[in-house]
Amino acid sequence: MSKENLKQVLNDEEIVTENKKQYMTFRSCDEVYGLSLENVSEIIGLQQFTEIPETEDYIRGLINLRGKVIPVVDVRIRFGREQLEYTDRTSVIVIQVKGTVLGLIVDGIEGVVEIGESEVSAPPSVSTIEQQAQKFVFGIGRVNGEVKLLLDAEKLINDSEEEEESEDEEE
Amino acid sequence: MADDMITEGMLDMFIFETEQGLETLENVGLDSRDAGEFDDDHVNEIFRIMHTIKGASAVMMYQNIATLAHKLEDVFYFIRESKPENIPHAELLDYIFEVSDFINGELEKIKEGSDPDGVADELIANLDTYLKKIQGSAGGGSAKKEEAPPAHAPEEDKPHFYIAPVASEDSHFYSIYITYSPDTDMANIKAYIAVNALKGIAEDILFTPSDIISNPDSASVVLEFGFKIALQTTETADVIMDLINTSSGIDQVEVNECTSDEFLKFCAEAEAGNHPGSSAGEVLLGPIEQPTVRTDAKPKEIPLTEEEEKVSVARKAEKEEEQEKKKLAPKKKKPAKKAETQSFISVNIQKMDLLMDLIGELVIAQSVVLQNPDLKVPGLDLSNFQKAAVQLTKISSELQDAIMAMRMMPLKNTFQKMNRIVYDTSKKLGKDIELEVIGEDTEVDKNIIEHVSDPLMHLIRNSVDHGIESNEKRQEIGKHEKGKIVLAAKNEGGQVWISVSDNGKGLKRDEILEKAKKNGLLGNRSERDLTDKEVFNFITLPGFSTKKQVTEYSGRGVGMDVVVKNIQEVGGVLEIESEEGKGSTMTMKIPLTLAIIDGMIFSVAGTNFVSATNAVSEFIRVDEDQLVIEPDGEEYVMIREICYPLVRLNRFYHMSNSKENLSDGIVIILNHEDRKIAVFADELVGEQEIVVKPIPSYIKKVKGISGCTQLGDGSISLILDIGDLIGK
Amino acid sequence: MRTLIAEDDFASRKFMLKFLSKYGECDPTVDGMEAVDAYLMGLEADMPYDLVCLDIMMPKLDGYQALKAIRDIEDERNIPENKRAKIIMTTALNEGANVNRAFDLGCVAYAGKPIDQAKFENVLRKLELI
Repeated sequence: MSKENLKQVLNDEEIVTENKKQYMTFRSCDEVYGLSLENVSEIIGLQQFTEIPETEDYIRGLINLRGKVIPVVDVRIRFGREQLEYTDRTSVIVIQVKGTVLGLIVDGIEGVVEIGESEVSAPPSVSTIEQQAQKFVFGIGRVNGEVKLLLDAEKLINDSEEEEESEDEEE
Repeated sequence: MADDMITEGMLDMFIFETEQGLETLENVGLDSRDAGEFDDDHVNEIFRIMHTIKGASAVMMYQNIATLAHKLEDVFYFIRESKPENIPHAELLDYIFEVSDFINGELEKIKEGSDPDGVADELIANLDTYLKKIQGSAGGGSAKKEEAPPAHAPEEDKPHFYIAPVASEDSHFYSIYITYSPDTDMANIKAYIAVNALKGIAEDILFTPSDIISNPDSASVVLEFGFKIALQTTETADVIMDLINTSSGIDQVEVNECTSDEFLKFCAEAEAGNHPGSSAGEVLLGPIEQPTVRTDAKPKEIPLTEEEEKVSVARKAEKEEEQEKKKLAPKKKKPAKKAETQSFISVNIQKMDLLMDLIGELVIAQSVVLQNPDLKVPGLDLSNFQKAAVQLTKISSELQDAIMAMRMMPLKNTFQKMNRIVYDTSKKLGKDIELEVIGEDTEVDKNIIEHVSDPLMHLIRNSVDHGIESNEKRQEIGKHEKGKIVLAAKNEGGQVWISVSDNGKGLKRDEILEKAKKNGLLGNRSERDLTDKEVFNFITLPGFSTKKQVTEYSGRGVGMDVVVKNIQEVGGVLEIESEEGKGSTMTMKIPLTLAIIDGMIFSVAGTNFVSATNAVSEFIRVDEDQLVIEPDGEEYVMIREICYPLVRLNRFYHMSNSKENLSDGIVIILNHEDRKIAVFADELVGEQEIVVKPIPSYIKKVKGISGCTQLGDGSISLILDIGDLIGK
Repeated sequence: MRTLIAEDDFASRKFMLKFLSKYGECDPTVDGMEAVDAYLMGLEADMPYDLVCLDIMMPKLDGYQALKAIRDIEDERNIPENKRAKIIMTTALNEGANVNRAFDLGCVAYAGKPIDQAKFENVLRKLELI
C-alpha cells in the first residue's frame, strides 16, 4: 500500500547505524565462542541435574528452571573434548530458539561483545577448530584482534535429529 | 446474532454460529429418523436455522451458502405453511445432510482462509425438484400457497454486507509508552519519528500529546510525562520495539498488548484533547492522566534503574507468551444449548489449561513448602504449622477437584457424531442398523474427549462394516432381530469405559489364530496357552487384518493398531470380547484425567523414578534365594509362590553406583493390564501427587520413560511407563 | 456515482480515492465532522452523494457519530429510503459487536481493513451503484 511511500517522504531523519549484533561470549576448551544475544535467555549457575539414562553422553540431564524442565548439554563433550571437573566458574547459558529451550554447560562466561557484520568472516574449511564443533560454527568474528567462534544456535538445538546419521559416519 | 460474544471477530462469530446451527440441524434430522416425519417443532427449528444461516452468509457475502440455505429454507417454509402430508421423509433427510455437509465443507475453506467456492447447483436443483414435488402432491387446491416461498420476502431485513478484510494475520492492539532521557533535545520531533517509523506497519495509530508537530512546547510535555501511542497492527511487539528503537534519545519503551476496547477508549480520550485551541498542557490535565494505557504513568523519575527496566522486559516477555498462546487458541468453543446459556459461560479452553497448569504448579509448590528441609531442625515445634498445612492440603486438593470438574464434558456431542456415522455408513452399505446410546451424559476431561473421538469412529465403522452381517445374510442364518450397535459409557473406578457392542458375526478365533501364526506373532507360545482375549488382541497389532477385502469404510490401511495407539496415548487400553456368531464388544478403558496423578517415587543410582501409585501393587524386600535365573539370563522373583519377571532398572539403563544385591534394595511389583512385573530399585523415596510433564523434545525417546515431573525438593524425576518398559 | 470519503489516515484516504475515483467523482474529508458538513453541502446543492465511506476511528466525530448524524439529517428532511446515501463503514475494527452496532445505526455494508477491493466492488454492484 501507499503507506510505504508516505513513510519515505516523511522519514527524512533516518538514523544510520552500522548493523552490529551483540554476542554472548563464553569459554569452552580454550576457545572463545559467541552466541547471538537474541538466542540467550539467561545465564544461571550450575545446578543439580537429573540424569537421563540411555541418552547421548553430552546430554547431562534435566534441570528445573523455575518449574520448567529443560535439558542441559555439556558443550565440551558436545564438541568432542574431555569433560572437565565442574568448578564455580562453570555456568549454564540458557538458549531459546523457536520455542525450544536448552541449557549449555560452559567453562566460563566472558561477556557481551558487539560485532559488526563486516568483522565476521566465514569459517575456514580446514581449520584447527574441533571437528565436532565445526558444524555449529557459522562464522568467525574478530574483536580487538581476538577471535570468537560464532555459533549457530539453531543448529545446536536441532542437532539431535541429524545426530544419527553423522555419528554413524564418524565412528 | 447474540450480543454475548462481542469480543469475537465477525468471521469467528459467523463460523461459530453456523457450525452450531448445522449441529442442531443434524441432530434434529437424526431425531426425526425413527418417526419418519418432522413434527412442527422440528420444522420450525430447521426453518429458523436455515433462515439464520442464509442471513448471516449473505451478510458475509458467501453467496453459495446463502443460496443453498435459502433453498432449504424455502422447502421448510412450504412445509411449515402448507403442512403437506406424506412427504418423502428419507429423501428430505438426505438433502438436509447434504446441505449440512456442503456448508460444513465451505466453512472449512473459510477457516483455512480461502474463499468458499464450492458449487451447490445440483443440490439446489434437487431441492427445487423436491419442493415442486411436494407442492404438487399437496394438491393444487391451494394455489395461493404455491407462490408462498418467494412471497415471504417482506419479513426480510434490509440487506447488510460485511466485507471481510483481505486475508491477513489478525491485528493486535498495543499501547506503547515511551520515555526520553531528560536531556533530549526536541523530544517532540523524536517522538514523531517514532510514530513515523510505526506508520509503515500501522493499521491505525494515535498518539498523545497529539500536537507534537504543531506545538514546540509539547517537547517538554513529552519529556515530563512520556509519550503514548495506541497502535493497531498485525505485527508483533518485537517488531514494534525494533521500529521504535530506530529513533534516538529513548530512555525506555514499554509495549503492551491491549484489547480493542481499551484501544478505542484511548483513542476517544486522545481525541477529546484534540479540540482546536488546546495546548499540550491542557491535554495533559485532561485525559492522559487517566490510566488509559496499562502502564503506570510514571512521574518524571530520572533514569530508571536497571532493575525496573528488566521488569518491563520481563513483563513484555510474558505478554508475548500470552499472545503466542492466544494465537494457538483453538477457535472451537464448547457449544452450549440455547436453553442452558443463562447459567453457563463459555471459557476459552486455553485459559482453562492455564489454570490447570497453575494448579499443578501450586501442588508442587505446596510440597516444596511442606517438605522444606528448613523444617527439619530438631526440636522445632511444628504443631501450628502442621495444622495449617493440613488445611492448605485440603484446600488445594479441593481446588484440584474443582478444576477437574470444570474440564469435564459429557460425551454427548461425541456420541451424537457417531449417530450420523452409523446412519451414513449403514445406508450406503444397505444394512438395516439401529444405534442405541447409553450413558451419553458420562463426563470426561476435555482433552481426553478429543482423543476418544477418532478411535470411537473407527470402532463404530468397523462394527457397521465388518461386524454386522448384510440383511440377506442375517435372513439366511436366521438372525431375525435388526442389526444393532450399542454405544455405552460409564464411570468405573477412576476410569471411563466406553464400549461399542454389536450383535453381528463376532470375531473368528480360529481365523485370527491362523493369521497370527502365519505372521509369526505367536512367538514361542503354544496355541492352547492363549486366552480368547490374547487371541483377539492380535487384531490390534500393526498390519493385521483378517478382512480380505478393503471396503470404503474401514480397513483402508488404518486398522485396529491405530485405534489402540490413539487410546494408549491417553493412557487407556482396549479390551475385546467376542463370541462367534453373536457379536463383539470393544471397550476402551480410559483414565478420567491426565494431568495430576498420585505417584510412588523410588531411586536408582541417585536418579528418581516415579510410577503411578495405582499401578503399584506392592513393594517388598526380597532375599537372594527368591531369585530364579533362567538359562537364558532372564530373572524372576518368587514371592508367595508367584513368579514375577524381574527388571533391574540399574542394569536396564546401564547405571552404575547402585545396589546390586536384591536384599539391599527394594522390589516394586507393578501392574500393567493383566501382567505384573517386579522392578528392582535402590530405595523407596516416597509418595507425592505429581504433575506430568513431557520430556523436552530435544531428548530422544528413552524406552520406558514417558515423561517427567518436579518433586517436592525441586528436583526432577522421570516417569516410568511400565507398558513401554516391558515392551508390550 | 458521487462518493464521499471520510478517513483521517492519509494513506488510507489516498487508497480509497484512487480505488473509487474510477466510478465517479470522489470527495475526501479528514474527519467525521467534515464528512457530515460535506454531506449537508451536497444535499443543499442538490447534488447528494450516492455513497459515503466512513472510517470509524476518526477525530472530532467518529464514524458511528457521523453515520448517525447523516441518518438523522435524512430523517429530518424526510428523504425517502431509495434516495438516501448508501453508507459503507471502512475500518479495522472487526469485532462482531462493532459491526452490528454499525448495521443498527443504518449502514449498508461494513468493510474490514485492509479492504478487499473485489468484494467491495461486488457490494457496490449489489447496491446498484456501479
